Amino acid sequence: MAKYTLIVTEKPDVAARIAAALDMEGKPSRLLEHGVPYYEATRDKNLVVVPALGHLYTVASDKKGSEYPVFEFKWVPLYLAERGAKRTRVWLQTIAKLAKNADAFIDACDYDVEGSIIGYCILKYACGGKEADAKRMKYSTLTKEEVQESYANALPSMDFNLIESGLARHEVDWLYGVNLSRALTQAAKKHTGRYTTLSTGRVQGPTLKFLAVREKTIRSFVPTPYWTVTATVHIGNTILEVPHEKKAVETKNEADAIVKACKGKKGKIERIETKKFLVPPSPPFDLGSLQNEAYRLFKYTPMFTSKVAQRLYLDALISYPRTSSQKLPPTIGYKAILQKLAKNREHGNRARELLGKPELKPTEGRSLDPAHPAIYPTGNLPERLLDSAQKNIWNLVVRRFMAVFGDPAVEETVKASVGINGYKFLLEGRETLEEGWLHLYTPYTHSTDAPLPRMVEGQEVNVEKVASHREFTRPPPRYNPSSLLKRMQRQNLGTKATRAGTIQTLYDRKYITEQRMVTSNLGFEVVNVLQKHCPTLLSSTMTAELEEKMGAIQEKTETRANVVNQAIETLKPVTDRLKEKETAIGEQLSRVLMKAEQDERTIGACPSCKTGNLIIIHSRKSGKRFVGCTNYFTGACKTAFPLPQRGVVKPLGVNCKGCGSPTVQVWTKRKRPWKLCLNPDCPLKKGGGKPA
Amino acid sequence: MNCKVCGRETNEGDFCPFHARANENILQSYGLWKKGLKIPWKDYLREIQKNCLTGEWAREVAEYLIKNEEKENDKTS
Repeated sequence: MAKYTLIVTEKPDVAARIAAALDMEGKPSRLLEHGVPYYEATRDKNLVVVPALGHLYTVASDKKGSEYPVFEFKWVPLYLAERGAKRTRVWLQTIAKLAKNADAFIDACDYDVEGSIIGYCILKYACGGKEADAKRMKYSTLTKEEVQESYANALPSMDFNLIESGLARHEVDWLYGVNLSRALTQAAKKHTGRYTTLSTGRVQGPTLKFLAVREKTIRSFVPTPYWTVTATVHIGNTILEVPHEKKAVETKNEADAIVKACKGKKGKIERIETKKFLVPPSPPFDLGSLQNEAYRLFKYTPMFTSKVAQRLYLDALISYPRTSSQKLPPTIGYKAILQKLAKNREHGNRARELLGKPELKPTEGRSLDPAHPAIYPTGNLPERLLDSAQKNIWNLVVRRFMAVFGDPAVEETVKASVGINGYKFLLEGRETLEEGWLHLYTPYTHSTDAPLPRMVEGQEVNVEKVASHREFTRPPPRYNPSSLLKRMQRQNLGTKATRAGTIQTLYDRKYITEQRMVTSNLGFEVVNVLQKHCPTLLSSTMTAELEEKMGAIQEKTETRANVVNQAIETLKPVTDRLKEKETAIGEQLSRVLMKAEQDERTIGACPSCKTGNLIIIHSRKSGKRFVGCTNYFTGACKTAFPLPQRGVVKPLGVNCKGCGSPTVQVWTKRKRPWKLCLNPDCPLKKGGGKPA
Repeated sequence: MNCKVCGRETNEGDFCPFHARANENILQSYGLWKKGLKIPWKDYLREIQKNCLTGEWAREVAEYLIKNEEKENDKTS
C-alpha cells in the first residue's frame, strides 16, 4: 500500500465508526494483525485507522520490586507494568508497524485530557516521535457528519499544555498512590506475613475520610426528643392535618399545654398568602448530573451509568458523556436533532411539538467544559435492540434534551394560617398551573402537587382533634454512590472520569460495604493511620491546590517538572515517618484485617449448642471446606454442614424462612449468585430448588 | 489502658476515641431529655439504649453505663 495517513483512535468501536464515516463508499476494509483490528479507507488520500485500547502507556517505577519510597519513574508500555495487560503488547507492535509506512498522523482519541494523553503517548513512543507533527481531530459525537467535519478541519497540532497538565496529574497521582499504598500494604504484610492489598491516594484518602467522619457521627448519635402538635380541621368537605407553627416543640409540657388550650375550640382562617412562580427546566446533563439522575430513577451506580453512556456514545446515539459542561451551543443543530427524533415512536410527538415553537432556546447551567458540550442525543435512532439499561439512559438523555427547550412550569403555593384559641397552625398547598417543560420530561418528574380546598380569610373551621406526637431527631443519612459523587464534585476531588472508579475501589478494598455506604473497621483504621501520620493527605485543600497547579500548567505559568518535584518534597517526610512507624502501623492494620477475615468466615450462631459460632473451615486432611461450630475444637459440639466446593461463599446474616438455619450466598463464575440454606433437610429444598 | 466497651487502646479515660465521642454525646444530650421529659439519668440511659435511632457506639456506651451503675449499686447495698 502506498503512503497513508495514520489515524489513532481510543477504542476499537470508535475506529470502526471513524473509518466508516471517512471512507468514500462507507465501506472501509477491516484487517487484522495478530488479532488487532485496523481499517483501510479512502478519502482525499489513503487512510489507516487504528485503535488503542484506552491507555497503552503508564507511569511505572524505574526499579523492580515493591519497596518504598520510590520517586523515580518513567512512562512505559502498559504490558510491562500491569500483569493483566499482556495483550497490549501486540497492539503496540501493530501500531508501530503501521506507523512505519505512514506519512501523516492524526490523533483522533477522545477530546479530553485522558484521550489527549493516550494519543500523545502512542504518537511519541509507538510511532517514533510523531507527536509534534500530528494533527488533532476534535468531535463530540460519532455521527458521520461530525466525524467528516472534524477530519476536514483537523486542528494543526495537539494541545500540548493540556497534555503537560494531564501527564503531571498522572505522575503526581502515581507518586502518592504507589508510596502510600505500598507503605500500608507492607506494614500489614510484615506483621501478619500475608499479603493484602491496601491502597490509598490523593483522591481515595479524602473520600474515605468523608465516609468515616459521617459513619462516626451516625454510630455515636444520640437522638433527642421533641414534639409536634397537629390539628385536624374541616375546611368545606376536606379534612386536613394542620401542623402547629412551631415545627419542633422542645418539652412535653409545652406540647400538652397547646393541646389542652386548643381542644374543643373553633378555628379561624386568619391569613391566606398566594404566590405564583416560574420553575425553569433543569439544565442539560453533564456526566455528574446524569449519574445522579440515573441513581435517583433507576438506582444505577455512577460507574454503571458511565459505562452505559459510553456504549451509547460509541453507538453514536448520544454525545461524548465525560463532560462537565451544562451548555448546548446552537452549533449542535437543535432543529436537525429534533427532526430526527420526530421519527421515533416514543419521542416523536414531543419532538414535533418543540419543532412547532417559533424559537428553540435551551435552558443552560453554569458549568462549562471547553472540550465538549453537555450530553445530548445525536438524533440517530438505535440500529439494534438496546438492553433495558441502555434504553433507560438513552430515553433519559432524550427527554432531558427536549425538556431544556420547554417553557417554564407555572406553580402556585398557598400558605394559610389557622388560629385556634390564640395558637397558630400553618397550612401549605402547592399546585402546578401550567405544566410547561414538566410534560416533556415525563415520566421522570415527580409531582409535588397538594392543592388546598377553597377558603377565605375570616372563615370559621371546625377542629375535630388536636394531638401531640413525640418525635426524635435523626442521624444524618449514610452516603450512597450518588450523594458521595456529588460531595466529591463539590470538593473538586478527582475528575469526572475517575470519581466513579474511586468509589468502586473503596468497595474493592473492603473499606466500605453496602449501597448505603457503611465504613468498615478496616476503613476506619486506614483513616486513623493516615490521620495520625500524614493528616495533610486526607485534606481536600491539598487536592484544590493541585487543581490550581494543573490550571497553571495549562496557562504556562507553572511547569510539570516543578509540580512533580513539589509532590516529591511533600511525600519524602511522610514516607520517612511511615517507615519509622511501620511496626506500629502494621500491628494496627493487622488487627482489623484479621478481625475482618474472621467476620467473613463467621456464618452466625450455632443452632445446636447455642454458645459457639458457625464458621467456614478448610479441612487440612481433605482440603475441602465446610461449615463447623467453633466448639468443635473443644469437643463440645459436632455440628457441621457441607458447602459447595467452588465459588465464593459469603454469610448472609439472615436465617432461612423455612427452617431457621443460617444462610449463605454462593458466587460462582458465569452464574448468578444464589442463596443457600445450610440445612440439607430444609423443607423448602424438597421442591428440588436451593431456596433460603 | 483499654476501652471498657471494645478493648481498644485508649488515649486517656475509660473509652477509646470512638466510644469517648459517643459518651460525650450521651452526656450532652441528657440536658435536652431532662428538659423535655423530666427524666432521671438511669431512665434516660434505658430510653436511648432501646431507641432504634441511637448509634451503635452510643448504645454500647449506654449499656456499659447501665451495667456499671448496677454494679456500683450492688456494691453499696
